[in-house]
Amino acid sequence: MVRFENVGMRYGAGPEVLRDVTFALDPGSFTFLTGASGAGKSTLLKLVFLAEKPSRGLISLFGRDLAKLDRADLPSIRRRVGVVFQEFRLLDHLSAFDNVALPLRLAGVRPGEYIRDVEELLSWVGLGTKLHAKPPTLSGGEQQRVAIARAVVAKPDLLLADEPTGNVDPDMGERLIRLFVELNRFGTTVMIATHDRALIESTKAREMRLIDGRLIEMRSVHA
Amino acid sequence: MNAHAAISSDRKRGLILPREQGAGSLDLVIGVMAFLAALALGGVLIANRSAVTWQAGLAGHLTVQILPEGDAPPQNEVDAAVGVLRATPGVVYAAPLSDAANLALVEPWLGRDAVIASLPFPRLIDVQLAPGATPDVAALDKRLKAAAPHAVLDDHGRWIERLKRTANSVVLSALAILLLIAIGTAATVAFATRAGLATHREIVQLLHLMGARDRFIASAFERHYFLAALIAGTCGAALAAIVFLAAGGLDEFGLSSVSFLPPLGLSVRELLWLGLIPLAAAVIAWGTARSSVMAALRELY
Repeated sequence: MVRFENVGMRYGAGPEVLRDVTFALDPGSFTFLTGASGAGKSTLLKLVFLAEKPSRGLISLFGRDLAKLDRADLPSIRRRVGVVFQEFRLLDHLSAFDNVALPLRLAGVRPGEYIRDVEELLSWVGLGTKLHAKPPTLSGGEQQRVAIARAVVAKPDLLLADEPTGNVDPDMGERLIRLFVELNRFGTTVMIATHDRALIESTKAREMRLIDGRLIEMRSVHA
Repeated sequence: MNAHAAISSDRKRGLILPREQGAGSLDLVIGVMAFLAALALGGVLIANRSAVTWQAGLAGHLTVQILPEGDAPPQNEVDAAVGVLRATPGVVYAAPLSDAANLALVEPWLGRDAVIASLPFPRLIDVQLAPGATPDVAALDKRLKAAAPHAVLDDHGRWIERLKRTANSVVLSALAILLLIAIGTAATVAFATRAGLATHREIVQLLHLMGARDRFIASAFERHYFLAALIAGTCGAALAAIVFLAAGGLDEFGLSSVSFLPPLGLSVRELLWLGLIPLAAAVIAWGTARSSVMAALRELY
């Protein structure tokens, strides 16, 4: 599903943020990415969701070497990846409903085919009464739930989440992790970057930790 | 308002990009450009119409002058010249102008005075040709000279040629102005598009990362600038149409201050041509926005 081989990453002429990172995510796996702030978690996720190119090394996604792909092939690969951004990145001028529906709209799904799904999903994350609320009127936790709903609505093959429970109370955090586990059960490969030890301990998933840009396997899970 | 109604109305608008703040200045610039373009296009139409009218008035006519010998042109030469002209194939009418008609021709410049009548004016013979007739002017001139040595034949060729040249240069100047306006409009829209991209950079990057194709993102900008240019262009062209209608009104009441200029108003049929201006503005804006956004998106990974 995802394979990194000796990947290094630096921004401009700065120091290497990631060094010789090598790992693979199997299809249907569930992985936590941990590490201190500034250890390179967000950078690693950016490389996976194709926001950045590595300075060196090889990355393959869905069995395809990214270095050999044509730029025109990237949008269809990006649509197979759902991302929960740490800073949410919702479109402030669109309603919660339209934010969540965006990936489906980009995939060319007709409105009549997704209205019910989007409404149900928003209800499931506790926002059934705020379908047409604009993000600036929502609390941080509510915005985070909209961002999560948007990331999962198209049932992506790969779900990446950067601190997805950072702004919600423990009950909602548990509810959201159940959503990720449920998605994973239906075949979505999940990778979550988090500091939340309780969240990590709540599942027996694999844990990889970044320390000073190097990746260390903390807990392996073998099927 | 139920949820479905709100959602579907949002979707109908299809606003992936929010309405831009401060877009009014771009609309104003495009409106002014369209106004100037419509004036230039109106100039082309007036120049063309005038050239056609002038040429139609002069074509099919010849003028023969019998120059005075002493105080007056010799009458026998006038009669001889008329005889030669009437015997020429293609000539349907040839007759000397009366003294009164002769004096009426010079009256705008010399006035109506008893002294004027005593001046040695040439005698003019008005010649009308059959439609499509092209007599051999050089041979006719030779025959006239033989019959009436003081005869001078004028087929208005030089005058028509000058008119053509003047009309052509007016048309070319107006087309050059239209081209400059088109370039100016394209540059303005390109600048506005880049500013729009900078303003909406976060949205563009997000859509890009979510797998939106460049065409999808570009279409949001294209639609925005196409509609803005269409509306602003319509306003500019409508204002120009009002100017031409007002000028036509002045012509109608004989209030045009410069009598030798052609009528500056446009007919309803000619005014319809101004409808091309907003369409051209919209197409230019659409194409410029598309190429600017696609170029900017190609720089993204």
